[in-house]
Amino acid sequence: MAQQLQVTSSGGLPLGLGSVRFARGFVTVVASTLVLLLVCAAFAPSAISAGALAGSLPFAAIIAIVGLGQMLVVQQGGFDLSLAGGVSLAVVITTHMSSGDDGQLLSAVLIAVACALVAGIANGILVGVMRLNAIIATIGMNALLYGAVFAVSGGVPRITTPLMSQIAGGKTGGVPNSLLFALGLMVLVSFVLKATVAGRQFEAIGANPAAAHAAGLRVRLYQSMAYVLAQLLYCVAGILISGITREPTAFQGDSLLLPSVAVVVLAGTSLLGGRGFPISTVIAAFFLNQLSQFALAVGVPFSAQTIIQALALVLGIGVYSVRWKRSATNRAQQSNSEDTDNV
Amino acid sequence: MSKAKIMSAAFAAATLTATLSVTTALAETPSWCGPNQASLGLLDGFGGNSWRLVTTASGQEEAAKCPSITEYVYADGQGNTQKAISDINSMAARGIKALVVFGDAGPAVLPALTNAHRSGAIVVPYRVNVGGVEGENYAKFIGSSFVEDGVSWGNWIKETLPEGGNILFLSGPAGNSQGLDELAGMKQVLDDKYVFINPEPFAVTNWDPSLTQQVLSAEIAKNDKIDVIVSDFGPSLVGALPVFAEFNRSIPAIATSDGNSLSCFWQQNHEANPDFKLFTVATGNDNVRLAVQWAVALATGGTPPADNIFKAPVYENSVTGSPNPVTCRDDLPGSIYLSAEMADDAQAKAVGQ
Repeated sequence: MAQQLQVTSSGGLPLGLGSVRFARGFVTVVASTLVLLLVCAAFAPSAISAGALAGSLPFAAIIAIVGLGQMLVVQQGGFDLSLAGGVSLAVVITTHMSSGDDGQLLSAVLIAVACALVAGIANGILVGVMRLNAIIATIGMNALLYGAVFAVSGGVPRITTPLMSQIAGGKTGGVPNSLLFALGLMVLVSFVLKATVAGRQFEAIGANPAAAHAAGLRVRLYQSMAYVLAQLLYCVAGILISGITREPTAFQGDSLLLPSVAVVVLAGTSLLGGRGFPISTVIAAFFLNQLSQFALAVGVPFSAQTIIQALALVLGIGVYSVRWKRSATNRAQQSNSEDTDNV
Repeated sequence: MSKAKIMSAAFAAATLTATLSVTTALAETPSWCGPNQASLGLLDGFGGNSWRLVTTASGQEEAAKCPSITEYVYADGQGNTQKAISDINSMAARGIKALVVFGDAGPAVLPALTNAHRSGAIVVPYRVNVGGVEGENYAKFIGSSFVEDGVSWGNWIKETLPEGGNILFLSGPAGNSQGLDELAGMKQVLDDKYVFINPEPFAVTNWDPSLTQQVLSAEIAKNDKIDVIVSDFGPSLVGALPVFAEFNRSIPAIATSDGNSLSCFWQQNHEANPDFKLFTVATGNDNVRLAVQWAVALATGGTPPADNIFKAPVYENSVTGSPNPVTCRDDLPGSIYLSAEMADDAQAKAVGQ
């Protein structure tokens, strides 16, 4: 547990991973994204044309938002498999309860948020308070959420309201609104995590719950809150999907679970918990989405597209795994007092 | 339950039965409905979308035309092969005489079908090829001619673009046989003047509207000239087509299967998009009717229908208006299929809206 060695570093709050290492994580994501953009420019210029970006950025924004939610849970050493059900439930509530009527949109959205709160609190109690295994608890919650999805929708897709598609699918100053939502949430999550006492405590607890408990922090409350906030982010993603995709299926969350974990890992958040990297997570979401756009633009067969994405993930995870070992050695030699906290 | 309640329930049931039998007696009994009494089971591998809901309701409606069918049961495999197999086994064990099976899992359900067949049930798989041999593993397989759909699209493309052009063909999951058959059908009628610009054999969309949207925006960015889009699930295009506006291009001609949401989209957008012509084949909900007719005929001793392959008829043609102009019912849900024989309002009820 390399990162736990350094948790109670000098002076006040434990900060998790060291600045050198963080910078590498951030640089890795940014560098890979730049390389990918260059490769796109050289081999598939259509993938970075304005029209293609306008078409694909909303989906990157969705991955970014669910990635931020998953990041919060991963920061607490957990996993949230109820993401698929949470997103799908938000989608069907927003489309079915409003039934194409703008007037009922607000109440539908509020109901979706309320459901997300209930699911998040249940997850939080199961994992944070009752100490159930996160994978088991959230897989069960996922099944319950899908039960609700069927109860609301019967599995049938429905067309979204015009207002919703204007809000989520429209543009402001040439920028897709969904992207603005993702960036706004990124700023919010970054600010809370990095610049508030609660956020600093949250990261400290993720890095070493035992030490944090000894320091008098409310470990269970913070661990539970990770699931609640994650569900709220999934809910936002689901609501946006209902506007971006004109007739979303009732199972829209299924294809987001793997990317959500992938972007968290690519951004350098340790699966063992600790510091989170919201900005890197959002960039990683853009990277992952652009990678599939590149594969589509090059016109490789579908099998190869899947393999390219899988390879990118393996490489991404590999890079961090190697660095874990190296930084563990480094850490044994260095003191950890150089921790800083630039995002 | 109190006596009065039981009485009123019995009375209601009797009235209902009387009404039903009168209605049935008034309608002519179809020739495929024989004199022997039988029970009928409809088994779905996956029942959770509007197409399946309309199809299931159509199967039930068809079975209700035959008074010899004494019991009708339905089971939904929920996309779970194990459940689908156990549904087949349990219906056979309950002694249901005729089983109409949508074998989504393909050959995986064949052993269960074979057991049911050997135990004396009339087993009729339809639409999805489950392998096996007629008479040995099941009574009759009622296929759907996807090649025919491809031929219909190909002929329309030839009429609409006599000089040739670029075709973008989208289908479902990678390697699905429906898409391959449709491609074979199109290639029968289209020569080298028509270029398929998608990756071979078709662009994979999993029939998922959001993946379709991503695939389509990549293809539009890549190809300056797309003359016609062919898709075997028309309604999944609805979310993706506005992408053309991002590129300041007109939506091109589209050859696909029908759906109310697509027709309504055409009505709202064809004026702003001069190249947007629409041609649809029926999406094939009525495939189940042919399968039910066969199963009932074999189980009750009726005369089997002449066809054993369902051929989806051409449904809409925005250019000639024949056999139908594009038809939008914006008062009804987008997720119904006006090409289906079932009444539009009954479909709306079937999809729960």
